[in-house]
Amino acid sequence: MTEPTWKRPAKLFAVATAGLVAALTIAACGSTGGTDNSDVPTAQGGKASGTLNISNWPLYIDGKTISDFEKQTGITVKYNEDVNSNTDFFGKVQPLLSNGDSGGRSILVVTDWMSEKMYNLGFLQNLNPDELTTVFDNIIPSLEDPAFDPGRGYSIPWQSGMTGLVVRTDLAPDIKSVNDLFDPKYKGKVTMLDELRDSAALVMKGDGVDPTEATTEEWLAAVDKVKQAKESGQIRRFTGNDYVQDLAKGDVVAAIGWSGDAIQAQADNPNIEYIQPEQGCILWSDNMSIPVGAPNAPAAYEFMNYVYEPENQAQIVEYVNYISPVAGVKEILTKKDPALANNELIFPSDQFLSKCTNQTSPPGDEAEQKEVENAWLSVVEG
Amino acid sequence: MGVWQRIRDNSTLFVGILVLVYMLAPIAVIAIFSFNDPTGKFNFEWVGFTTEYWANAFDNQEINDSLWLSVRLAFFTSLGATILGTLIALALVRYEFGGRKAANLLIVIPIATPEVVIGAALLSLFVYASASLGFTTLLVAHIMFSISFAVIVVRSRLIGFDRRLEEAAADLGAPPLTTFFKVTLPLLLPGIAGALMLTFALSIDDFVISNFNAGSEVTFPLYIFGANQRGIPVQVNVIATMLFVIAVVAILFVILQQRRAEKLVEKRADDDNKASLSIPV
Amino acid sequence: MTTLRQRLVPYGLLGPGLLWLFLFFVLPMVFMAWFSVSSGSLESGWSLTWTFSNYTDAISNYTTQFGRSFLYAGAATIFCLLLGYPLAYAIAFKAGRWQNLMLFAVIAPFFTTYLIRTIAWKTILEDSSPVVSFLKTIQVIPSDGRVLATSAAVIAGLTYNFLPFMVLPLYASLERLDLRLLEASKDLYASATQTFLRVTLPLTAPGIVAGVLLTFIPAVGDYINATFLGGVNQSMIGNVIQAQYLVINDYPTAAALSFTLMVIILVAVSLYIRFAGTEALMGDEEEAK
Repeated sequence: MTEPTWKRPAKLFAVATAGLVAALTIAACGSTGGTDNSDVPTAQGGKASGTLNISNWPLYIDGKTISDFEKQTGITVKYNEDVNSNTDFFGKVQPLLSNGDSGGRSILVVTDWMSEKMYNLGFLQNLNPDELTTVFDNIIPSLEDPAFDPGRGYSIPWQSGMTGLVVRTDLAPDIKSVNDLFDPKYKGKVTMLDELRDSAALVMKGDGVDPTEATTEEWLAAVDKVKQAKESGQIRRFTGNDYVQDLAKGDVVAAIGWSGDAIQAQADNPNIEYIQPEQGCILWSDNMSIPVGAPNAPAAYEFMNYVYEPENQAQIVEYVNYISPVAGVKEILTKKDPALANNELIFPSDQFLSKCTNQTSPPGDEAEQKEVENAWLSVVEG
Repeated sequence: MGVWQRIRDNSTLFVGILVLVYMLAPIAVIAIFSFNDPTGKFNFEWVGFTTEYWANAFDNQEINDSLWLSVRLAFFTSLGATILGTLIALALVRYEFGGRKAANLLIVIPIATPEVVIGAALLSLFVYASASLGFTTLLVAHIMFSISFAVIVVRSRLIGFDRRLEEAAADLGAPPLTTFFKVTLPLLLPGIAGALMLTFALSIDDFVISNFNAGSEVTFPLYIFGANQRGIPVQVNVIATMLFVIAVVAILFVILQQRRAEKLVEKRADDDNKASLSIPV
Repeated sequence: MTTLRQRLVPYGLLGPGLLWLFLFFVLPMVFMAWFSVSSGSLESGWSLTWTFSNYTDAISNYTTQFGRSFLYAGAATIFCLLLGYPLAYAIAFKAGRWQNLMLFAVIAPFFTTYLIRTIAWKTILEDSSPVVSFLKTIQVIPSDGRVLATSAAVIAGLTYNFLPFMVLPLYASLERLDLRLLEASKDLYASATQTFLRVTLPLTAPGIVAGVLLTFIPAVGDYINATFLGGVNQSMIGNVIQAQYLVINDYPTAAALSFTLMVIILVAVSLYIRFAGTEALMGDEEEAK
């Protein structure tokens, strides 16, 4: 006698489901995750030696600084350019950091809002100002005391930059404001950054709203405006660091992008320029922090002090082309490379920055922020 | 035979070759651009011919580190998966036992699961168990998704196996383990080699599952993904072409060995025939 | 008469491998299931709250992506079949001495990594490339159109990347074909087409089943092709799952999406197998006895 053919898989299924329910019930006894922010350690200083593992954004350092540092201090540096976007990097390190494991890193560099988020999750150590005398001697006044980290308790700026428009001036000479990105004439030839706090905030400014004072509704309205542009095919892609490629190829004529990239991109295509939007830019900093479980905090402190020496910083700025957080660099470069010293993108005047606002997160509690973030995600990933 | 007939006869071959060209087109592009000399950071427009990057193929430490990691990972994965898979295949093909259906199911379902789900599920496990992500978790994950493939390859070889050779060995008085090591295993070798190669290739190629479970380790595909954002160094093209060439050479070698073995068998058969013809009956 | 030891041998052989699969496939699925009905966040931790609404929310929010994934994967599978069958046929019957070489040419692209191959397609298909210019000249695309960042590009990428998975099972099946059956058919005055439709095709059905499954299933969950070759409106469900896990860290939603995807695939596969036959999958051991 043979069973009807449907009985065997059905039996199998029943057994499997029973097992699953049993396992789940057992697992129900536990919960997991969660972080305790009450006990943030302070990174210990001391004699700096050994190996230093740094995670930074790509193309953010020149070719000599690391070897110069190694020669001067005897510390071996492993410099990883594995931060391609704040969220991607967060996704990668979050499982480690929640276990107090830094993955070998002693310094990581992320943007303001991510520094804040990581600190609130207990992923970063407090910094001891006594170990960072050079830093605090030379940091420019405007970056000394930001709202999200008063007195720089856990973050030290690596470089600052502006989010604005990066344009192929030969293909789209008349782009002057973020609203020009919505011009149907450029349909399918426009990209935006996948970063909420850059793209939506800039779009908001185009409508006259100040992101640092906007309400959740105003954020959602900006997100919605982007959504419509995406659905109509106006926006070709949402990008991370890779928008420069499309611009160089000419597949895209205008993008929301970062000031330093524009300068570096001119090697690929001299017609790529940074255009300061009429309504102003978004100002941000990428900050060095020491994560929990960092194996070599003394070396980290040493490195931070090293790059805050004006001569060393000048060497970095010459290559990186972003805004330096260290005072005294402009004077050094005026002698070495006057063209660079006068470049408004690297040493912007107050007038150039007059309408710019600091990068900021959506307001409100966790739930309200999640609402905006999820709305944005469905636009970017949907 | 008319021309029309000729075309029709060979049309399948023609289409087949077209499809092959289609398959190799991107490889050609990769190889061509490994000789490019780009001005900026991006390597998609032909600027000029240079062998500079071939000469300095291993100058980029980051690429080297990630490549070495991938190779090590693939090596241990192929070993682990092939061993476990061969054992399973032997059991499935040679023995009667209860729970066969369940075993089959367990082996087949991972192949039927999208990589993104496997990677994500493993991440769920590791997060829940507070395990530290890195080489070990990568190895575990890679072996896991490779076992099923190893089973399939070895199993198909086992099925076509001529049992009489083993029976002959037994008749000649060999104990089962000796038979296994001296008869079965050597004859199984092509299947095992195939499993090793397949699992090695799958592991070195894997991106999705590694992306979820690598922690801060960077495999070669993960490096490429990150590098894509800011411009992939020409060395990557060079290395990709090298990998391809190495594989081609390896397979050509195997094919040549096969042909030689076949010729040898033919020759021996001929000799035997000649010999047998001269034996008076 | 089998001794106890002999009866235990198969279990001993199966043991290590199956244990590995159990620990690192089944168990993770259990944890994923746990996450799928939990709630919470990275900051506050997760706990099992039996929130089945995770599933309903996930499905309703991402129906488009689910549908798109099945559409793209289905289209790619069909193209793979149309391209792969002639190739497999040619290798099996028309290749002669070049058989092994051609087979190898099918597998060879695997040895350059998946990502590089897909990125190479980006170069081939960019707006200013010769290929695209040609297509514009012969009017396949409008002159202000593009290939990259469209559905066509994603489907093309999927087809390309999964073609070997279709060709190899087809080849294996074709190779086992008894040529005498084809000759018999010809002897009975059947035309080439009739022979193909009535003899070859049905006999290679197991190969087709295996090829279709091996192509369709991974294609549905793929997100690489959509990332590199697609634009804003080409996200597949794989992209969403990946983002939910690694970007938003909303594990419950991500887990719910993953399970839903798996279930749909399993259902589709079972229906297909029921319809097309099962020998391709699990029954071959009988041959060996």
